[in-house]
Amino acid sequence: MKILRLALLELLRRPKKNLVIASSIVIAVALLTSLSIVSNSANLAIMEIIAKTGHTLTVRPAVTSAGTNPEEKNQEYKLTTSEVVLGSYIPEAAVPEIMKYYDKAIKEGWEKKGGLVSNPGIPETSLEPATWAPRLFEKAEVDGQEVIVTGIEIRKEYFVRFWWNLTSGDWPAETDVRDVNTNVSTLYTIGSDGKVTIDKTEYGVDSSGRLIAAQDKTGKAAPILKGWDDAYLGGAYAKAKGLKLGDKLTINKSEFTIRGVLEETNSADDYMVFIPLSTAQKLFNKEGQISMVSVRAMCPNCPVGDAMVELNKHVTGITAVSQLDVAGVQFDFFNMLYKFLLAVIVSTIAVGIFSIFNIVTGSLYARIREIGMLKAIGASRFQLFRIFIYEHFILGLAAGICGYVLGLGMAYILNTLLDTGAVIRITTDFLWRALILGIVCSLVAIIYPAYKLSKLKITETFRTQWEG
Amino acid sequence: MSEFIETKGLKKIYHVGGQKVEALQGIDLEIARGDFVVFMGHSGSGKTTLVSTIGGLTRPTEGTVLIEGNDIWKLNDKQLSHFRNRKIGFMFQSFSLLPTLNVLNNVVMPAIFSANSGKKDSDTLKSKAISLLTDLDMKRKVNSFPSELSGGEQRRVAIARALINDPEIILADEPTGDLDIRTEREVIDIFCHINNAYQKTLIIVSHSLTWLEKAKTIIVMKDGLIFKDLADPVEAIMDGVCKP
Repeated sequence: MKILRLALLELLRRPKKNLVIASSIVIAVALLTSLSIVSNSANLAIMEIIAKTGHTLTVRPAVTSAGTNPEEKNQEYKLTTSEVVLGSYIPEAAVPEIMKYYDKAIKEGWEKKGGLVSNPGIPETSLEPATWAPRLFEKAEVDGQEVIVTGIEIRKEYFVRFWWNLTSGDWPAETDVRDVNTNVSTLYTIGSDGKVTIDKTEYGVDSSGRLIAAQDKTGKAAPILKGWDDAYLGGAYAKAKGLKLGDKLTINKSEFTIRGVLEETNSADDYMVFIPLSTAQKLFNKEGQISMVSVRAMCPNCPVGDAMVELNKHVTGITAVSQLDVAGVQFDFFNMLYKFLLAVIVSTIAVGIFSIFNIVTGSLYARIREIGMLKAIGASRFQLFRIFIYEHFILGLAAGICGYVLGLGMAYILNTLLDTGAVIRITTDFLWRALILGIVCSLVAIIYPAYKLSKLKITETFRTQWEG
Repeated sequence: MSEFIETKGLKKIYHVGGQKVEALQGIDLEIARGDFVVFMGHSGSGKTTLVSTIGGLTRPTEGTVLIEGNDIWKLNDKQLSHFRNRKIGFMFQSFSLLPTLNVLNNVVMPAIFSANSGKKDSDTLKSKAISLLTDLDMKRKVNSFPSELSGGEQRRVAIARALINDPEIILADEPTGDLDIRTEREVIDIFCHINNAYQKTLIIVSHSLTWLEKAKTIIVMKDGLIFKDLADPVEAIMDGVCKP
């Protein structure tokens, strides 16, 4: 027989009392575990969006009263990768102005932050001009059902939304993310006076309403633009409709061919049909208009928030939203909530430990004669201390396991109550933390009375018997 | 019999409710190896204090306790625990056995506090415990729990436990205090057997006169002092009893 077994047997000798002690620890561990899981899951969800879009600025039409107030503008949108705005537009011609303010703010902000000095590892050349991708959202009838059809410039979109992947199909052959910036100047000519000319190919509509290539602005017959009738589908939409690569799709009487199906990204993109921007503009009579511009900064620590403020201050009719700032607000909110709940739980645990301490002290003093007997037959102070520590280590371990299991269940409930929108993620770290917390709570309650009792003189434990 | 246990000028002062109580008032005592000593006296005479001081349980206020020439109160806590574990087998009137352990585990319990208790030692100890229990006519109760034993049986288990580490001294405080006459005689016979068969030095504290028949040495105490050169110990013990 070993001291550990003796401790275990002693523990099992008082099941009710130990159950009361354990239940306090179980509740404490469960509360902290559930809070940690929910908080961690919510933070991870935010961090993932930040990782994807943290250096992205979204520019939309100012569609609310907030449009005139820069501060209100900044708080208008939730953290998301593609907020759909219908019925409000930004003139495509405004994009250069937007980009001008954006680039200026980024450069100034970058210099203010100490530039490369405070951003080791980023070469000077990496402060490239930002790239941008316009979108036009329209509700349209697709194969007899209403769907959001989004006009995009595939190459730019792919570059800005670098997390996009195709589950089937291919991007247009000429898609090359590396030369997307040079492509900007070929689409738009910026004069020395700052005015912009849009080099846009014209489209016409035939008698059946089908889009056909028409003439460019010089009047020459334009070749049919390669890929003008390409369609890319959001993963969820393709799955729901059973559509696959090469299938035909009719949008407002025009036929499109599915060239690719996107991987699901848990965003509104999953339910959209994407067609070339120029085709969409013609199809929906929105030439020269776009619903949104996503701007991707080309440096990881670009001061996107500064750019957002500058744009909202100087460009009328638009609302710029920095995903990083929105994420920051949500992050701060969850952190504040976490700290508040943590304070409540820690207070509860402190009260719990005090209660456990009282129960344990009473329980140990009830064993005082037994302790004296153990000392008399040769148990040293340290060996006695070990018995108490082992007992409460086992108790804390068991309570930690139970608390962890309970905490898992509570995490799902708490997540629903707090409406974090995050997917609960569980790692082994939480189990270790729960076990450590359980053991620490149990040991903290025992350590002082155990120390005091192990130091008691034997005659004090046998006072009535030995004081003859 | 050679000189074995010696106390010199042993004093113990308790402070109870702000008052000094001299439990031992300078005891000089010698106990030979293999002796069977019974301490007797009225309650409060200091016999238990003296025995617990000899056993390394109560630190004296003054004086020394020499076991084989070594002052046990110069040992540190660990050494003193080891001394109690290896040199002395204790028996108490009550609270003696752990209710969670069966008879066998109660008997081997002192061994778990010894430094070395490997698998081989564990098997040897169990064999030894069974042998002791057999000798004490308790083999059939090896797997019983204390609550299933009578008072006499519990004493036998406690005796077996006191012997498990093969100590040289058996120290018992009122080992028959709550037993009926018949069981008391059985227990006393066992002590005699231990003294004769195992050559252990027995130091017993008791109020019971039954021990007088078997003890080799009787020490009577009063007010923290030893009565020496007693012609009739019984008379000395009885002195003052039922008298004004």
